[in-house]
Amino acid sequence: MATDSEMVFVLPGDGIDASLIPTHPKRPLRLGPGLRHIPPSTIVPTIAGQLVTDHKKNSLWVEYNGGRYIPAVGDLVIGQVDRSAADFYYVALSDYSSNASLPQLAFEMATKKTRPNLATGALVYARVSLANRHMDPELECVNSSTGKADGLGPLVGGMLYSISLGMARRLLMRKSVEEGRVVVLEELGALGLAFETAVGRNGKMWVNSEDTKTVLIVGRAVKETDEGNLTVDQQKKLVRKLVKEMS
Amino acid sequence: MPREAEPSLNEKAFFLQALQDGHRLDGRKFEQFRQLDLQFGDQYGVADVTLGKTRVLAKVSAEVTVPYPDRPFDGIFTITTELSPMASPAFEVNRPTEQEVLLSRLLEKTVRRSNALDTESLCLIAGQKVWSIRVDLHVLSHDGNLMDASCLAVVAALRHFRKPDTSMEGETLTIYTPAEREPVPLSWLHTPLCITFSFYGDEGEMTLVDTTLLEEQLKVSSCTISLNKHGEICQVAKLGGTPVDAVSLVQCASIALQKVKELSTLLDQKLAEDSKRRNKGGLLAELSAENAR
Amino acid sequence: MPLDTSTYNLALLRVDGRRWNDLRRLHGQIRTQAAADGSSYLEMGNTKVMCVVTGPSESARRGGAGGGAGGPAASSSSSTATTPNGAEIAVTIVTGGFSTVDRKKRSRTDKRVQELQAGVAKALAGALHAHLYPRSTIAVSLHVLSQDGSLLACLVNASTLALVDAGVPMTDYLVACTAGSTSGHGAGDEGADPLLDLNGQEEQELPFLTLGTLGATDRVALLVCESRVQVGRLEGMMAVAADGCGHIRAALDRIVRDKGAQMVREGAIAKGESIGMDLD
Repeated sequence: MATDSEMVFVLPGDGIDASLIPTHPKRPLRLGPGLRHIPPSTIVPTIAGQLVTDHKKNSLWVEYNGGRYIPAVGDLVIGQVDRSAADFYYVALSDYSSNASLPQLAFEMATKKTRPNLATGALVYARVSLANRHMDPELECVNSSTGKADGLGPLVGGMLYSISLGMARRLLMRKSVEEGRVVVLEELGALGLAFETAVGRNGKMWVNSEDTKTVLIVGRAVKETDEGNLTVDQQKKLVRKLVKEMS
Repeated sequence: MPREAEPSLNEKAFFLQALQDGHRLDGRKFEQFRQLDLQFGDQYGVADVTLGKTRVLAKVSAEVTVPYPDRPFDGIFTITTELSPMASPAFEVNRPTEQEVLLSRLLEKTVRRSNALDTESLCLIAGQKVWSIRVDLHVLSHDGNLMDASCLAVVAALRHFRKPDTSMEGETLTIYTPAEREPVPLSWLHTPLCITFSFYGDEGEMTLVDTTLLEEQLKVSSCTISLNKHGEICQVAKLGGTPVDAVSLVQCASIALQKVKELSTLLDQKLAEDSKRRNKGGLLAELSAENAR
Repeated sequence: MPLDTSTYNLALLRVDGRRWNDLRRLHGQIRTQAAADGSSYLEMGNTKVMCVVTGPSESARRGGAGGGAGGPAASSSSSTATTPNGAEIAVTIVTGGFSTVDRKKRSRTDKRVQELQAGVAKALAGALHAHLYPRSTIAVSLHVLSQDGSLLACLVNASTLALVDAGVPMTDYLVACTAGSTSGHGAGDEGADPLLDLNGQEEQELPFLTLGTLGATDRVALLVCESRVQVGRLEGMMAVAADGCGHIRAALDRIVRDKGAQMVREGAIAKGESIGMDLD
């Protein structure tokens, strides 16, 4: 992951300088969210934001914060079951957008008899398996090649917090501390709080812990970091303040 | 059109658990308001109330019209509310939701029916010319507790408003522009404000004030009490929902009185600050110059 | 319009000759409309209300044209209250133009009517076991034939009766009653008495509130006050109204039991073991 040292900002419809498009001898070029390919060889940003390239993976995308979630294949999302039909659960990913469908058999070890029974309003952690512009997205809670859940599935207990899309992306980065500049979770963990989280690309974060207070602290820490756009030092200060306040 | 998702089961369960442990999601106490901010516009009669992430704007305007034939001595006073899709996609234009109807009825009862504004003082020539005072309320951002924020905005805007001065000489009515004569405030009798209580739990045993949108969606019932700082109730509305113990409602009334006193003080203070700001270099400055000599 | 209630202080009798804690004459009937699932007619003094309940029937919203339930579709003029995973309760109030002295037609989209509808619907939603009827609608249609005070209370009581007739399970009778106070809105005036069940004349003049309780308990389902009154008066007025609610509950229960007994006597229904009430 090597982001360019200088940040490149694009507006919708801007031309993208050819030097910015990564070239890789073997891998095909992959376009991420916010970019549109107009054949034969034009790439146009569809949203304002920071253009990010990854030379190793030969990919290119636009980083932005805001707007509503648009499903993309491979995204991890937290959805809320709206209703269930014969073979599908209909899952809401964000307010006022059409539901995604989650096959009832797309869970680990699920068969006709042993499929999980999810009530309306239950939460699931799922991966987007199909996302087309003019179709409702499809989800899965199982890795279809290995048959393993990989941590996906129904989320029981805990609390759901809404965060901005940018924050969700930062939290989901492989090295969220260095690149995302989010240290709240690490700091809270270092202070001895035991909790688990799941972050959905659709701007949702699920926090669970044995202790209600811990969940409240984690939720508030992340939300305040998100809303205040806090720096690393401010985040550390906030965490100390919250832990002191609640104990 | 897809609706707004209701809070998930996890959120409901956790929220109730946290309440039972005595915590609110944002760390407030049960009877604590969010950060309240009240701003007046450059013009007279514009008030902008921010309560956490809820924001409402009230604008007062006045014009001279013909009174209703059945009430020739009374001025006309109307409050219109606008819940636009800007605040939340749940609101549609030109189709008042039940919430909007209840909100405008609440304001109507709190401010208009309680005679907070003396409508007889708006009469210029009986049966022919009266002032028509109109308050337009716009909800700019909706994160719960619209009622309290709206009521405060409307009352603040009306108290801040100045209508053009008039005089009668024989049969001629003169309306002065602000340049000719300083505009005059409305004849204001008392300051009613409302406090909304939301109840939680199977028996409605837990009570919160100033709920956020999520808290509002999870309530089992609610009660809005309007009163002024002298302890006169102008309106009480607990429309259905889970039945609540009568004793806790009486307690709510006394909490409401205390909160209203706090809010009235804040409002008076803000109005005083605003008039001081406007008066800078005005009459006071002139007077002080004379005194110095 | 200075009405004269000042005589109250002399004889402790109200304009219509009642004492402070007297209810007006309460007369009610249930099963008045043969075609409806449930119906009632209730008079509280000169306030007269008729109620018709249709349902629980398939929700009109979900495009269920079949089923033949034939319920009046939840029209846009009704106010609805939904319960989580339960039936939707749609209340419509129609006020006859002849119901008041000044013969003024009030449209159904009037905000005041909508507020009344919302109040009744939400109060009923808290009392009914609507979760037993998912995806259905209970339509309550109220007709105001004559108004003389305590309108909201009368509407609530009439709909309770009609819902009992329709056989919709509920926790207890939802009953409502008004209470007023002889004091003005100013402070002081310690000698003010609370008054029970106000008529139209008294409502014009005195501060009052409408209280709805679940059965004869102190649990408040509905509390509406639209007049200026000292906060200290609230408790006394609520206590009197709650007491009145207890009496009204007994009266409504009597109406239902009498009708049941009459039906058994007439052979309209067999006297089964499930009917545990004693005749006479």
